[in-house]
Amino acid sequence: MYVYRIMLFLVFGGYLLSPLLMNGWGDPSVAWYRPFAIWGGLIALTLWLEQKRKLDER
Amino acid sequence: MSVELISVLLLGLGYLALLFGCGMAVERGWVPVRITRHPMVYTLALGVYASAWAIYGSVELASQAGFGYLAYYLGAAGAFLLAPVLLVPIQRITRTYQLSSLADLFAFRFRSRWVGTLVTLLSLFAVLPLLGIQVQTLSDAVHLLTGSRFSAAVALLFCGVIAAFAVLFGARHSHHNRHDTLLSVLALESVIKLMAMLGLGAIALWWVFDGPQDLQLWLEGPGYTAQAATPKLEAAQWRTLLLLFFAAAFMMPHLFHITFAESLSRHTLLQASWTLPLFLLLMALPVPLIWWAAKSTHETIPVAAYAAYMMSEHWWVGALAFLGGLAAASGTMIMIALALSGMVLNHVVLVARPPEARSDLYGWLLWLRRGLVVAVIVGGWLFAESVGRHHSLTSLGLSAFVGMAQCLPGMLALLYWPGANRKGMVTGLIGGIVMWLWGLWLPLLFDIPMPAMPFTPLMPVDAPPWYNVTLISLAVNIVLLIVISLFTRTSEGERSAAEACSVDAVIRSKRLPLEAATAGDFSTHLAQALGDEAASREVARALKALNFTPQERRPYALRRLRDRIQANLSGLMGPSVARDIVDRYLPYRHDDAPVTDDIHFVESRLEAYRSRLTGLARELDGLRRHHRQTLAYLPVGLCVLGDDDELLMWNQALSQLSGISGESVIGSRRDSLPAPWPTLLGSVLHAPHTPLYKQAVSLHGKDYFLTLHKAVLSGHDSRGGSVILVEDHSEMKWLEDELVHAARLASIGQLAAGVAHEIGNPITGISSLAQNLRYDTDDPALLETADQIQQLTQRVTKIVNSLVGFAHGGRPTGPLPVSPVSLKTISEDALHLIHLARSGEDIIFTNACPDDIAVRGDSQRLTQVMVNLLSNARDACQDQGSILIEAGTQASHAWWRVTDNGHGIAPSVKNRLFEPFTTTKPAGEGTGLGLSLAYQIINEHQGKIDVASPPPGQPRGTAITLWLPLYQQDDLSLHAQDTDC
Repeated sequence: MYVYRIMLFLVFGGYLLSPLLMNGWGDPSVAWYRPFAIWGGLIALTLWLEQKRKLDER
Repeated sequence: MSVELISVLLLGLGYLALLFGCGMAVERGWVPVRITRHPMVYTLALGVYASAWAIYGSVELASQAGFGYLAYYLGAAGAFLLAPVLLVPIQRITRTYQLSSLADLFAFRFRSRWVGTLVTLLSLFAVLPLLGIQVQTLSDAVHLLTGSRFSAAVALLFCGVIAAFAVLFGARHSHHNRHDTLLSVLALESVIKLMAMLGLGAIALWWVFDGPQDLQLWLEGPGYTAQAATPKLEAAQWRTLLLLFFAAAFMMPHLFHITFAESLSRHTLLQASWTLPLFLLLMALPVPLIWWAAKSTHETIPVAAYAAYMMSEHWWVGALAFLGGLAAASGTMIMIALALSGMVLNHVVLVARPPEARSDLYGWLLWLRRGLVVAVIVGGWLFAESVGRHHSLTSLGLSAFVGMAQCLPGMLALLYWPGANRKGMVTGLIGGIVMWLWGLWLPLLFDIPMPAMPFTPLMPVDAPPWYNVTLISLAVNIVLLIVISLFTRTSEGERSAAEACSVDAVIRSKRLPLEAATAGDFSTHLAQALGDEAASREVARALKALNFTPQERRPYALRRLRDRIQANLSGLMGPSVARDIVDRYLPYRHDDAPVTDDIHFVESRLEAYRSRLTGLARELDGLRRHHRQTLAYLPVGLCVLGDDDELLMWNQALSQLSGISGESVIGSRRDSLPAPWPTLLGSVLHAPHTPLYKQAVSLHGKDYFLTLHKAVLSGHDSRGGSVILVEDHSEMKWLEDELVHAARLASIGQLAAGVAHEIGNPITGISSLAQNLRYDTDDPALLETADQIQQLTQRVTKIVNSLVGFAHGGRPTGPLPVSPVSLKTISEDALHLIHLARSGEDIIFTNACPDDIAVRGDSQRLTQVMVNLLSNARDACQDQGSILIEAGTQASHAWWRVTDNGHGIAPSVKNRLFEPFTTTKPAGEGTGLGLSLAYQIINEHQGKIDVASPPPGQPRGTAITLWLPLYQQDDLSLHAQDTDC
């Protein structure tokens, strides 16, 4: 289980901080696509972790 | 926008016909398997999460809560992001125990059929609003496009076609768990709805607006006021929404089924941890664009959910939105119907009316399920028409999601808290359900005022009802689950199921004996519950899956067979009914035999999971494998027996010695091993003291001498049993016997030498007396007798000399003469001597040796050889037997052969024919030295002996051929030179 502690910590931290995603709505100073860019980054991180796991299991 | 009803009808039916076509194409193998089984197909099928809510409800939520709508997508993305710690463990349990629904999983973990029924009823009530949303959006979309008042009837028509599809392609008993056709069709639907959403987003951005810059200008200008007026979700409400959608992503019946029952492998599921969030991102991206586009063209929008229809007057924009909605709704309806029908069948129908032994069991179950599929879809239509249309999509959807979230505490306890028990889970679930029904579900039906919730200080007064109900119901649920579980007793069955479900599970399968003795007994016993045909099919299916034969008797194999049958029946009828059937008809035998862990099973599991072990676990597994290999390749036979006499290990050396492979016997009982192993191992197990030295056994036709050692496995952490080492001491025993034999020969040799010495003196005396006799008489008869006495005494002297020579290490007693010796003459002499004996008078001797063959050697010693051979031949022949002496030449050698037609030489004696003291004659009749001496003499003459028994071309008898060097004229001169030197 210790392998997943960092991931659990990040997910829980992300859960607590996630309301910040809503701030862009109606705010012209913030790009409307900002939440999607952050989300895309998260997908890229997961993809990297998945590739790493595949290499580990080889 | 106004489109003819018939056009929409044709569009919808055309789309559904496309689904049927796709289903048929996959079914008939027109689509390659590498496509239908591609992990991307699974990911796209998971896209069924994006239901009609994703097309319409999200837009409505965006209009009410801005980016708060993202919770729907991010919640599901979060669940799949946590796949390694959340979804993979659930997948492991569902695949191992063939659990296809949330109710199956809960019933299995909490060992109660009523838990399964409770979860099924909850799912049914919770999913009805979601099903209603799908129907309602279809009906509303038809109404928006056509303005027709028959939109509800059109929706019912679509529902009928969707139900027909589900019955045709989904409701079937496939022994392959995965429905490729269904998944492929769902994947196609996901592609279509994604294309529709991206298309609508593109229309909004580049058609309604003039590209991204124009959108930005609108957001900064006219749109700014509208956006700023949109209420924002409180952070706590956002987190609660996120939690609800997180739970829904894998606990909604249809999503649970696709995620776990249809997944190809763990790898596929892990791959979905980033591909599904990507799919959801693409689905979510157009939502604000659609809303802003609609808002930019209409100041006020009556129903925000259908903004896509408002943003453009073009009919094809509406058609695109309709197609996207239909794709989303149909996929969700098909999967909900299939998942719910399975749950209701297994946990309501079969629990109320258990299956009887009937010949058409499979057909009965199939038709029941088909009926339930249709009932669920019709129930969804009725709910939408009677209840749904009076409520917004948001309130309907949230009511469904809050209901299913009541299973979240139980699910987390199932994975991470083995201490949770049935009473706690049921009490907590009922508490949560009551709060949910009271706060959200019943107000949908009866239009009653929303009840005031307790604990208001913790919640804002103006918070939406779904938020308050979620918090209070989950709090009640969790508190009851924890408190009741802590203060009530957990049954043994629950404890073992908890271990099997726990993420850090240490699965300790027990070696319990079964009542059924063979795989064949399984069919007989199961037939009482399933009927003959179904029982035979289930047993055959399990045997095939495990690669066992119907004759299998090993207890280990029978336990695996039982587990497999239970898992297969669980997939067919649910875990509760399957467990009841298996427990009742394939029971364990509860005798006094000690119960210990199934080490072999644990090992096979570890081998299967090896690639997934990491860190310390991997190192420990490496160590385990090292120790195992040490034992497996030990050059001494080793086997391990449990206290119940079950064989746990049988290493390579023992396999080679016994000729029995380890794979065929591991897991069987000692008494089922081939002879002589049960007795042999039993003798060492029960012996008070070990080792047992040189136990004589016969293995595959040969005699072996085995030494057996035993060690009893005991100690604090021991699982009992005994280790037995089997050493092959056959060679050592043979060497020991040879040594004893050699010592015996040596002592006999010494004795013979002494006797020969003692015999020598009287023989000399006899010879002298015979000489005197010749001088004292002229009687020819007496003279002949004296001659014969002298010849015989000379022969005795030679024999005695040979015996002494043999006793002194086989050294010849004198130099070998090189005078020519006629084989015919020697044969005549030998025959003459043989005739002196009184036995064998009726044997016919024939001397067929030519006159002209002369060999180099000592005539006396060669006569001795021939006498021995003739004597043996005579003894081997019966009355009227015949013995033939013949000779010939070949190159520089002469062959000299004695052939008889006697009983021949036994094969067991043939190999040691020339060893001293080898005889087949009765005790006292032969010394066993004759052929040994003959061999030695021929060796001294640089010749050799061939034995053929029977001779070529004869049915019986023996031919002994002597090969001797021919006499050459040069031999004498060479000898003279040697003598001169």
